[in-house]
Amino acid sequence: MTEKPKLGVYICHCGINIAATVDVEEVTEYAQSLPNVVVARNYSYMCSDPGQLLIKNDIKEHGLNRVVVASCSPRMHEPTFRKALQEVGLNPYYLEMANIREQGSWVHEDREAATAKAKTLVAAAVAKVRLLEPLTSREVDAEPAALVIGAGIAGIQAALDIADAGFKVYLVEKSPSVGGRMAQLDKTFPTLDCSACILTPKMVDAANHPNIELLAYSEVEEVGGFVGNFDVKVRKKARYVDVSKCTGCGDCAKECRLANRFPNEFDEGLGKRSAIYLPFPQAVPAKYTIDPEKCLFLTRGRCGKSPKCVDACRAEAIDFEQKDEIVTFKVGAIVVATGFDVFDPAKKPEYGYTDYPNVITGLEMERLVSASGPTGGDIVVHNGEEEITPKEIAFIQCVGSRDQSVGNEYCSRVCCMYTAKQAHLIKDKIPDATVKVYYMDVRAFGKGFEEFYDRVRREGIRYVRGNPSEIFKRGNKLVVKVEDTLTATPLEDEFDLVVLAVGLEPRSDDRKIIDLLRLSQSPDRFFLEAHPKLRPVDTASDGVFLAGCCQGPKDIPDTVAQAKGAAASALIPLARGKVAIDAQVAEVIEDTCRGCGFCVSICPYTAIELVTINRMGHSVEVARVNEALCKGCGSCSAGCLSNSIQPRSFRDRQILPQIAALGGIR
Amino acid sequence: MDLDKLRKTAAEIVSRDDVKYLLGWRRGTFGYRVAPYFIEDAAGVDELIFSPLCISNLATYLTLVEKLPVPRGQEPDQRKVALLVKGCDSRAVAQLLVEKGIKREEVVVIGLPCPGMVDRELLAEKYPETEAAAEVKWDGEDFLLVGEGGETAIPRTEVLAEKCRLCRHPNPVISDLTIGEPVEPWATADDSGVAEIEAKETAERWAYWEEQFSKCIRCYSCRNACPLCYCEDCILDRLDPTWVNRAVNFSENTAFHLARAFHLAGRCIECGECERVCPAGIPLGKLNRKLARTVREEYGFEPGLDPEAEPFQAGYKPDDPEEFIL
Repeated sequence: MTEKPKLGVYICHCGINIAATVDVEEVTEYAQSLPNVVVARNYSYMCSDPGQLLIKNDIKEHGLNRVVVASCSPRMHEPTFRKALQEVGLNPYYLEMANIREQGSWVHEDREAATAKAKTLVAAAVAKVRLLEPLTSREVDAEPAALVIGAGIAGIQAALDIADAGFKVYLVEKSPSVGGRMAQLDKTFPTLDCSACILTPKMVDAANHPNIELLAYSEVEEVGGFVGNFDVKVRKKARYVDVSKCTGCGDCAKECRLANRFPNEFDEGLGKRSAIYLPFPQAVPAKYTIDPEKCLFLTRGRCGKSPKCVDACRAEAIDFEQKDEIVTFKVGAIVVATGFDVFDPAKKPEYGYTDYPNVITGLEMERLVSASGPTGGDIVVHNGEEEITPKEIAFIQCVGSRDQSVGNEYCSRVCCMYTAKQAHLIKDKIPDATVKVYYMDVRAFGKGFEEFYDRVRREGIRYVRGNPSEIFKRGNKLVVKVEDTLTATPLEDEFDLVVLAVGLEPRSDDRKIIDLLRLSQSPDRFFLEAHPKLRPVDTASDGVFLAGCCQGPKDIPDTVAQAKGAAASALIPLARGKVAIDAQVAEVIEDTCRGCGFCVSICPYTAIELVTINRMGHSVEVARVNEALCKGCGSCSAGCLSNSIQPRSFRDRQILPQIAALGGIR
Repeated sequence: MDLDKLRKTAAEIVSRDDVKYLLGWRRGTFGYRVAPYFIEDAAGVDELIFSPLCISNLATYLTLVEKLPVPRGQEPDQRKVALLVKGCDSRAVAQLLVEKGIKREEVVVIGLPCPGMVDRELLAEKYPETEAAAEVKWDGEDFLLVGEGGETAIPRTEVLAEKCRLCRHPNPVISDLTIGEPVEPWATADDSGVAEIEAKETAERWAYWEEQFSKCIRCYSCRNACPLCYCEDCILDRLDPTWVNRAVNFSENTAFHLARAFHLAGRCIECGECERVCPAGIPLGKLNRKLARTVREEYGFEPGLDPEAEPFQAGYKPDDPEEFIL
């Protein structure tokens, strides 16, 4: 260092958050006594404008060249103070924060001990700040395009917003059609507008938008690179149908030798489809797909004399020679909108879902009441003996939600309302039906929810507070065994149909996305946002954003709102055209690096690679950090035997004096 | 051991255009001593030997030989280095490959199944009178001392080196060609030669190591002889920050030895060179074998067996039970 360090130390009261437990005056006095400290002050809110002004004025007045702020965790306000330093011409990395709130006042009760600890933390920060080096962050160009994974309502909305803003969007959907779960729904609570009616136009928009490249029946295979410059590899699965020729007439499916033999996934298995199929009438793209696991020709190599679909197709669109296709492209941002699975009630055997055909899930009920469903909207079920129109119907709430025994502690947020809606629809279609809802609590928290809940109760839906213990068969009736906990009465009520209001779960294939994008999961196993309140659509991976139920259960309005939020966030790097790269990243000392590659395999962000350099005439391999990918976590440094890779601002020579100061050694 | 075959093969290999030299052993300057031998042409193979005294691990020289600056306009010598390896030595080669310390195409590995080596100091102590002239040979499991006064049979257990008594991999795990028949491992599954120390009370153990580490003169022979200590710039030599002070005292010596042991955890292939070369007689083999065993038992990992293996504890797994990184 050329100039002598001149330190300013600023101790924050954080209102009473810190000041109530830590004697800030004493800490200030102590700080003043530390070596190289020119000025030490305390103030009620350092992060406020006047607080920042204190620092800025001191820098100007006293010529400070290093600043220590003793306040909260650097997570929130390090950028704030860095900016303050920068504004008065000091390198923003000449800042060190001592966390005397989360690591001090908030976790201690004893004022004396908390004050002593705050002093130590300040001393450690002072010890380190003197050794910090000036750093400069760089900017790199961002690719003006986005990838949206999943084309349910969240993905469609995010894609449309980004595309409308004028950027290219690659919308990747795993299944043959876009639409996702919302396409399966009948009416939507609490307004009872038809799900398909409001979704279908968006599906078509997404497919026709000049800025959206729809990659349906495709899966993301690899994502490399970093924010602004992701390299994406997508596998377009073979449909065995030439989409440029297919007219969607459906002759093939009618003629298929295995016509209507397989449970239709879209109808939750209630309806049947052929080996060549369109998932549902409004599917987008409206192109048929051959199921490679079912098709006779694809599984056995022959299908009679010749495949019937080929004979039936007037457009000659069937192409059994079709192969998976790999598409690669670059994007600047990624929106993950992979959605959810519904809870599998087989995990609660006491409800007899796998035993009784008239115990169904809420999603099955959606298909049953839907006019486009397998029954054309007639509510008919098989009670084990015959097809009946059920007259006595029960709904059981919280199946697979708020239930530690199945590992789902969370509330799924939609079941109360979809149950109320379905109960209403049943009353609408079968006016003489009696409908009972067994619930733990009714959570009608959204706009118009409570009103809707009141409305269905006025319609004669009976709500019984109790969590059923068992469902069994008596005669041709289903018996729900439950205690009405409001009257403390044990009940054995008989029904023709029981609907399990199954909750929402993370998708079973989430692991793949986690590995692809290095996402984290919260304890409920949904994808983890960067901050629960302030960064709800961001992830720990820069440039990767979350939309919809992949982040946690949500209804449609919340999903759309979050999708729009994710789209807006994704647009930031696209619109700016540049992304800033943090300067506090790992750096390799090439002279001593022995190229063992431990750091390469340790790095959680694949930010390090081995490159060949010339060392005095010899070609040797050394590690090199991709600064855009590095998060400065320091894992590499811990694994390096020759200490040849170290995060800037966290070099050994910078943190060892800090640690020594923590131990009371100056 | 068929020495003629070994010498013939060695001659063939050093004659190859793509081989710089062959690393082997020859008789040392005195007594039972054996010296490493760099053979650069076929004529040199006459002195090449492989006997129960060839205990040193030649893999060390793969990284120890300094890469001199190449004068401008010249190309670096890209020729291969051929070397003779016993079971333990071959593990060092495999581990070096894992760590990219060497490249596979840079070496020709000649494997020699090893029935066990003699502890030279023990031998000299027990048979001092023949030291000046005698040779040592294998005789089945046992050893044979061949001197001017005839042959003396020595039971295996009498002079077998400790690391060989504990050896689980007497046959080379990696080689381009092997000379000699594979030997049957006498595997001692659990014995790592540290039970005695483990049985001590903590205070006793501390006293034991205090005594041992206090003997250290910080000559760094252990580090230099270790085939897997090959950082160009060892952190223990650095001054900023000074991890280990240069003062020779118990505290700094302990820091040195423990740092080295931890740097070798999951990497040490138990060749015992550190202990063998230690002029102060510190049982460093015990220290490293203890860590090697811990890694084996707790992580199910044994280094230097598969050149394609992922290095120990140098991998990131998305499902790592530790959540602190992401």
